[in-house]
Amino acid sequence: MSVPRGTRPKTLPTIVLALGGVYAVLPLLWVVFAATKTSEELFTTFSGWPSFNGGLTGNLAALNDYGDGRFWLWMLNSLIYAGGGAFLTVVISAAAGYALAKYRFAGQRLIFGALLAGVLVPQITLAIPQYLLLSEMGLVGTYWSVILPSVISPYSIYLCRIYADAAVPDEILEAGRVDGSSEFRLLWSVAAPIMTPGLVTVFLLQFIAIWNNFLLPYIMLANDDLFPLTVGLYSLLNRGASQPALYTLVITGSLLSIIPIVALFLFLQRFWRLDLVAGSVKG
Amino acid sequence: MTRQSPARSSGRRGAAAAPYLMTAPAVVLFVVFILVPIGYAIWLSLHAMRVRGAGFGIRTEVFVGLENYLDAFMDSAFFESLQRMLAYGLVMVPATMGLALLFALLLDAPRVGGKRYSRITIFLPYAVPGVIASLLWGFIYLPAVSPISTALEAIGLPAADFFGDVSIFFSVANIAVWGSVGFNMVVLYTTLRAIPKELYDAARLDGCAEWQIALKIKIPLLRPALTMTSVFTLIGMLQVFSEPATLRPMTNAITQDWVPLMRVYQQAFVENDIYLGAATSVLLAGATVLLSLGALGVFRVRNTRSER
Amino acid sequence: MHSRRTFLASSAAMLFLSACGSGGTDGTGDAAAPAASPIGGDENAAATLTFWAWAENIQRVVDLWNSKNPTQKVALSGQAASDELIAKFLTAVKAGNAPDILQVEYQSLPTLITNNALQDLSSAIGDVKSAFPAGTWNLTSFGGATYAVPQDVGPMMLFYRADIFEDMGLKVPTTWEEFGALAETVRQKDDKRYLTTFSPGDAGWLAGFAQQAGASWWTNDGGAWKVAIDDPATRKMLSFWGGLVNSGALLGDPMYTPQWNSQMNDGTIIAWPSAVWGSGVLAGVAPSSKGKWKMAPLPQWNAGEQFTGFWGGSSTAVSASSKQKAQAAKFAKWMNTDPEALKVLVEIGLYPSATAGQTSGGLDAAPEYMTGQPDYYEAAAQIAQTARGFSSWGPNTNVSYGAFEDLMPTAVKDRSDFAAVATKVQELSVADLKKQGYEVAGG
Repeated sequence: MSVPRGTRPKTLPTIVLALGGVYAVLPLLWVVFAATKTSEELFTTFSGWPSFNGGLTGNLAALNDYGDGRFWLWMLNSLIYAGGGAFLTVVISAAAGYALAKYRFAGQRLIFGALLAGVLVPQITLAIPQYLLLSEMGLVGTYWSVILPSVISPYSIYLCRIYADAAVPDEILEAGRVDGSSEFRLLWSVAAPIMTPGLVTVFLLQFIAIWNNFLLPYIMLANDDLFPLTVGLYSLLNRGASQPALYTLVITGSLLSIIPIVALFLFLQRFWRLDLVAGSVKG
Repeated sequence: MTRQSPARSSGRRGAAAAPYLMTAPAVVLFVVFILVPIGYAIWLSLHAMRVRGAGFGIRTEVFVGLENYLDAFMDSAFFESLQRMLAYGLVMVPATMGLALLFALLLDAPRVGGKRYSRITIFLPYAVPGVIASLLWGFIYLPAVSPISTALEAIGLPAADFFGDVSIFFSVANIAVWGSVGFNMVVLYTTLRAIPKELYDAARLDGCAEWQIALKIKIPLLRPALTMTSVFTLIGMLQVFSEPATLRPMTNAITQDWVPLMRVYQQAFVENDIYLGAATSVLLAGATVLLSLGALGVFRVRNTRSER
Repeated sequence: MHSRRTFLASSAAMLFLSACGSGGTDGTGDAAAPAASPIGGDENAAATLTFWAWAENIQRVVDLWNSKNPTQKVALSGQAASDELIAKFLTAVKAGNAPDILQVEYQSLPTLITNNALQDLSSAIGDVKSAFPAGTWNLTSFGGATYAVPQDVGPMMLFYRADIFEDMGLKVPTTWEEFGALAETVRQKDDKRYLTTFSPGDAGWLAGFAQQAGASWWTNDGGAWKVAIDDPATRKMLSFWGGLVNSGALLGDPMYTPQWNSQMNDGTIIAWPSAVWGSGVLAGVAPSSKGKWKMAPLPQWNAGEQFTGFWGGSSTAVSASSKQKAQAAKFAKWMNTDPEALKVLVEIGLYPSATAGQTSGGLDAAPEYMTGQPDYYEAAAQIAQTARGFSSWGPNTNVSYGAFEDLMPTAVKDRSDFAAVATKVQELSVADLKKQGYEVAGG
């Protein structure tokens, strides 16, 4: 960062930026406040301030007890779907993106163009056909039914291609070939390490996308032991006419479900290269 | 993007197959989980459940040709939903891109305080699932539980109506903006940081103010990044679903067919007509492809022109 | 069908279908035979049954069964009770993944039956018919066959804040006319309060009011369907609510929102036309006014009459694709007629359909929340006797409900004629039936 003349922050830009932060964080504060309220307090006390009458511990205990700890199962499932799915996405997208960037082969443009067009198809169009297909494969109602369709991510392949194109110098690959390395060895031990910052970005974006996905797991899963958090919380929110939403549980659950994502984001922050989304990485 | 390394695989055994083997897993998964389902959706769109026999009747699946497409085209609810989506997009797309650009430029400008804090907090909402974001904004919009209304009343102002005929578009768009500004901001900001600082020095020596530098140097350099993020924001607009769908039970202002994907959803999941739903969504996907290609084309033409 | 298939076989899409076999899309036709035939198999054979349900704590009934039937295990999957559940179930049937047993709301049964997704249980459960009031049994019987065991019912009643009624000097209305006058009185006496809200997005609630008014939206008459959603009874009922909402005497906001919870809690809303299970809902949404709510019969259209309708309620059905139908039917029967099971149903907040469930067992004492009304269940049982339903639910009830839930909120927002909504829903419902190939009488 260039150090400018003078070090005192300017007032107006600082305030504008701070307002942006306030806009982003206020609704989240609201969740934190709401999670501290008992169900009596939730709709009767001012929602812009927390309560300190044991509501939070009560809500956490209720969430913990719900269906014999089912909430934690949902969180674990979300971690499996998002973590496993994002990992496989990275492996597959890295190989494909690298190949598309560093080789010239027949059908290349077709493959890349088709993959890109995949971003444009709404998930709702695909959900029911995917369900029928996976049930033919006997996979519906298993972890794979959520992980496998999530693994193919046109966006991730696109990002990997751009990153490989920009970050992996041809000269290194050439040198490796002269040393007699196989093409796959070049990918694995030469290109992949260079691409790591980009791959971390792809992992994180895909992790968040799968973590937040609702429709696919909703369609694929019938057994509530396999639900991810989104579907589990939705089932708490939508009961029959005679059983209204369990708001305090949903709110406390929502708060807890954001925490792992925030933690992951803060942890991986320094590895990020989000600029590759814009296709403008310096080579 | 079309820059290619010179072909070098010829003459090495096994090397020619390497790119195919490397893309194979992606291609296979693409075919199985995207291409075949699209084909199946098209097949569904040409069929329907029709009753055989009198009385209670049993429905069977029959081929109906383009009947579903005719129905989808004649469906006034679908076209109304398209209009509402455009109204929503008119708020959402400029607001998202404008705020993202503003914050990115502020983050990149010298002598602005609290950058670290702002960068993280503005990004945070991206980590909140759309359904949960909509639920919590719903609490904030509903007059009887809204902290905003309570605050307004406390200082003697009338409560804000977030679900009015016009304000509803802003209320729904706000949820999407809240969730996506941070992502786009970080993209643009990271791109800005990749620009060599020397480019600004000459301008500063010439006495340009920071806002002039932003306008005349930074924004033109950001154009490719702005193009990509705009296209993705546009796709987000076309596929808007979870925000209005989650808000719907809370207000009379949002119908079950408020935006196109809600109409598709209603057909497939409420009316249990997956065939008509498939036809509508095929139309929608087609329109999305055309629109995106059009948008990319427009940007590309502009970019090449300005480069000349 | 066959010539079409040959034609399509050449298309790319068909490649997928042939890869998937006939089970993928053509299964509905093939499944016709088993669904219509009587259930075979030994109901006492060992089994592992899957059960989709949404009722809170229904696991307790399942646990009771599992402890008594070690060789016939039932595995419960908790679901969200939403429109999507029917689509999800239909898709699962299509794909051959359906659960053995399903909790179904009464109005969804015809949709499932006409999609050939449910097993005809007539032969397996006929012996418990007498355990249910005739009207309730009819809710699960269509065209002479019974497809599900009734589980719980929701005869409608009026809940009101007894303490506020007393403070304001209000009298519990016995006719809708009094109800309307009372709504205006409440506004005059205290402009912070409303008698109640008219929730436009709940078609099932409207159907209950229509039943009370004497409507019968669907009738299957010798093969042809008669649809009467815009009949005089329904129009009268909708115009009545429309007058009150459009004049501002009542709120027009949806129920079951955070806002509604808040208003039910703080006395903004002081009455709620609901169903017998309403006390359980109140305990959840308005915990701070425990003991202050009381329940009375719904107001009547004509003084001296006693009628009510149904809101909600569900049944237990067996899927057409189950391979353990006899055992599944046995469980469905047991859950809804066995005295011990009924007792647990009551404890988890359901009002059983079975006559024995309504008159004995867990219903001796009023719900804990209704401390102001010790004879809650006696009063409820009397009201339940006066409930009348439609003569049938239609094969496209979901379409009609969807239309109501789309048009009604807009009518409230625009303050337009509520009865006109019935006309529009009627048109849409009839058009949809015809499109699907049903014979519609008088249309």
